[in-house]
Amino acid sequence: MTITNDVVLPEESELTVQEINLSTPTLHAGAFHLGKYCEEVNNEFMLCRFEEKDPRKCINEGKAVTACTLEFFRKVKKTCLAEFNQYAHCIDKSSGDMGLQHCRKTQGVFDQCMLENLNLERPPFGYFTEVRVHATTRPKPSIEGKAVYSDVTPALPENAEKKPARFGSRFYWMTE
Amino acid sequence: MAEACQIVRKQDLPPPGGYKPIPFKRIPAKSYFSGFTWIAGYIGMTTVSAYLYYLNCKQVTKANIEMRSAKMAIYPMLLAERDREYMKQLRRNRDAEAELMRDVPGWEVGTYYGERVYKLVPPDALVEPIFHEFYAHSDPSDWVKRTELKLRS
Repeated sequence: MTITNDVVLPEESELTVQEINLSTPTLHAGAFHLGKYCEEVNNEFMLCRFEEKDPRKCINEGKAVTACTLEFFRKVKKTCLAEFNQYAHCIDKSSGDMGLQHCRKTQGVFDQCMLENLNLERPPFGYFTEVRVHATTRPKPSIEGKAVYSDVTPALPENAEKKPARFGSRFYWMTE
Repeated sequence: MAEACQIVRKQDLPPPGGYKPIPFKRIPAKSYFSGFTWIAGYIGMTTVSAYLYYLNCKQVTKANIEMRSAKMAIYPMLLAERDREYMKQLRRNRDAEAELMRDVPGWEVGTYYGERVYKLVPPDALVEPIFHEFYAHSDPSDWVKRTELKLRS
């Protein structure tokens, strides 16, 4: 393998946190509210992940994401469990790809409950496909500049004489 | 002999009153629509079905966008979980390699007898191993499960 002993990998204990033990339809059912509830931490994590391009540097952000998700689902469990289960069940059983368009009625009931109890509105259509701008305090990783070589061919001086081409252009029909 | 052949011969002649007239008049099949009606019908039906297709297309696009939104909303959480498990597995792989090559003199983990695979990256850089390397120390059945994931799901 390419992972040598010099590569610092975090210990197993550093990486072990409580994971979200939920099925896909359940996650799908809660996806929109979850994305809205944890928007800040999610954006922070994704920005870190895509800027650093290294999972080792975003462990704490990732833990924050998981903690936020757990908190969200605990709140849902406390307040809107019946409505949520009904909605998730509908998503699970209505289509093969867990499409959301078949479950508008149960979705309405769930949304109403979330709005009343957690004051969490369902984000508008296409909200998560839009480009998001995120302000962060984490310093931006430095971008490697262009390589500078010592044996570069020197450029022409600024005031060099530039005569017209002796035999004209090869692409005379395009350039003239 | 001449008497024996004296039978009445009947000559083949037209029926009395003559032959019926030959029906040479063309009788075309009954046509319900004229050519222009057919063309108009074709254009009309195509227009209507194109409109229905457009409506359906819009519906499908909307469903796709909603699906993608839902997936993007849960993606950070899935990625965080995946990253943690991935790093755990990398450590396990490295330990397994060290254990496996323990008796080979001069072997260094992650290198070919001390020669690094990627020489231009800093030594601490995490170069993600390719699939077969990642599964090198695993059970072959797990490897098969992962390679045939698309066929199974």
